[in-house]
Amino acid sequence: MTAIRLDHVSKRYRAGRSRTVVDVIASAVERLRGRERDVYGTARRQIRATVFALSDVSLDVAQGTGLGIIGPNGAGKTTLLKLISRVTWPTSGRVQVAGHVVSLIELGAGFHPELTGRENVYLGGGLFGLTRREIDRRFEEIVQFAEVEPLIDTPMKRYSSGLYARLGFSLAIHSCPDIVLVDEVLAVGDAAFRRRALERLRQLIAEGKTVLFISHDLWNVRRLCDRIVWMDEGRVRASGAAAEIADRYMAEVNVRAIANEQNLLQSHRGGTGEIRFTDVAVVDRHGRPIALVDEGAELVVRARYQASSQVASPIFQVAIVDVETGLTVATATSSSSDSPVLESTGAVDCIFESLPLRPRPYVLRMTITDAHQLVSYDVTAGPQFAVTATNGTTGQSGDEGVVSLPYRFEHAARVLS
Amino acid sequence: MATVLRPLSDRVEPTDPEAYLELLMNLTRREVKGRYSQSLFGFGWAVAQPLATMAVFTLVFSRLGNISADGAPYPIFAYAGLVPWFFFLNSVNSGTASLVQYRNIVTKTYFPREIIPLSQVCSRLLDFGAAASLFAVLMVAYGTRVTPWALIIPLVFVLLVAFTTAVTLLTSAANVFYRDVTPVVQIALQLWLYLTPIAYPLAKVPARWRGWIAANPLSGIVEGFRSAVVYGREPDWSLLALSGALTLIALVGAFALFKGVDRSFADVI
Repeated sequence: MTAIRLDHVSKRYRAGRSRTVVDVIASAVERLRGRERDVYGTARRQIRATVFALSDVSLDVAQGTGLGIIGPNGAGKTTLLKLISRVTWPTSGRVQVAGHVVSLIELGAGFHPELTGRENVYLGGGLFGLTRREIDRRFEEIVQFAEVEPLIDTPMKRYSSGLYARLGFSLAIHSCPDIVLVDEVLAVGDAAFRRRALERLRQLIAEGKTVLFISHDLWNVRRLCDRIVWMDEGRVRASGAAAEIADRYMAEVNVRAIANEQNLLQSHRGGTGEIRFTDVAVVDRHGRPIALVDEGAELVVRARYQASSQVASPIFQVAIVDVETGLTVATATSSSSDSPVLESTGAVDCIFESLPLRPRPYVLRMTITDAHQLVSYDVTAGPQFAVTATNGTTGQSGDEGVVSLPYRFEHAARVLS
Repeated sequence: MATVLRPLSDRVEPTDPEAYLELLMNLTRREVKGRYSQSLFGFGWAVAQPLATMAVFTLVFSRLGNISADGAPYPIFAYAGLVPWFFFLNSVNSGTASLVQYRNIVTKTYFPREIIPLSQVCSRLLDFGAAASLFAVLMVAYGTRVTPWALIIPLVFVLLVAFTTAVTLLTSAANVFYRDVTPVVQIALQLWLYLTPIAYPLAKVPARWRGWIAANPLSGIVEGFRSAVVYGREPDWSLLALSGALTLIALVGAFALFKGVDRSFADVI
């Protein structure tokens, strides 16, 4: 049964500032003087400009689903939740929901800092559609979940922001929602509360409630949600099983980061320069440069070089460095007997037969030294690439560490029987 | 816990009206608490406001301007008009800014938006009650007789609240779109005080202007209160009926307009 249905929904906002009568007159004067911009320096066509926060989004969410919503900032994620919670209305299209929607867009928005926690629970409960009697019945539970018992009769202006948010979350979650909308609000609580909140959301899903969860923390999204919608520039970029969409999203984020950093890394260069790399690429079987490598697959690094004089038996080294930590994960070093005397240009391939690395971005560090590894001719950063998870070969998404070792579990009982 | 499968709906929140009534009461309570917290004189201010104006009016209009109050003592005549007037004035003034003031909950959660301006009107009921109880003291002091006509007070009171609500709904919604509404309302209210027979009786208005003054729904309301408690005589029913009809039109119109635009509040506020 469907809990939320969006049918070709678009939401348009005015982009320009609102203008006073004085602005309008001043701009008219500027126009008479032949200026293309108004008093604020805004180009004329921008004044009436509108932006589509969402364009033509259609979405069906089944009851009892944990749906993650991911995407870069400004993708329309929060607008989507605001439409579902009826805080705002679509410019075109239709939004339908089944049941009571509770929105955790900003926790404790309805609280009054001068009133005590107790007064605010009763006051704020009304905002979530709770009556006094219902709050009376659940009061203990609400306070206990938020763990604010000692401060419940203190004005909320004395609360820390974490406590504020905890009481807000607890109140919202105890208002018997059918649909819960969570927008990156768990970040304020401490680790213990975050865990409890996630646990509670998971419990709600298990009870058949629908939870929409916006987070940039893909780890939490994957723990809570079985489906993900990937938003980009106001559209649904992709939607489907959580693991698949999360991996595709991460791969793209990595590719973008690689494109941005490529030039920067090339500029750091050392070595004496008798022989230098001219081009280094991670290539596929057909020799085409690639930026993504499947976990466990083969990695081919193709390096072209140019020698300015004769160089006898140099040693090539390729190091794989974790971009985030700077840790050298693995190196490959050629032996001096592999390479004869080199002059002018040439190319060398370094082939890693399998790449059992955790899915994340890596960068290559390329070195050429003399036969005794005493003098380095060239040290440079090579291209970045990202390892992508492949289903089946990887472990659980919760695995940590640097390398992905192939493993399996066997229960002792099975061995005995 | 068994989950009830609910059908899809375009409508907003099938939640209990009782919960919204409670929200209205809570917001009212919060408003009153906020207004009189950290104040020494507290509720006294609700009484001081009409009382001070009564003193000024008595000096200016009765002593200097020589306006007679149709046989009643001028102070009690003026006070009977000022109590409903200040209820109207304060409700509209704080109501106009209320939606913008509560923008953080308007843009974050859904609930019927009219609850916010309504809570402003409700919070002024307490002030009205405090000011009205002083009126009882004045009646004893001036030896005013209570007649059975005092029984029409509830009727006039309902008209006052209804008309105040209508104006507050309109100005609060308009203020979301244009902040100019706040100063415009303040100026309009200053003029409105003198276009309502508060400092003077309607009977003293020259006949050719009387129709215009009567078209102001507050005229019938103020005159209604006076005939009930100051003079203890039958009210001018046609004036009261006109006021009632205009109030009804204003209330229905204001509510329809409010509900017509309240969906865009969160976008433009």
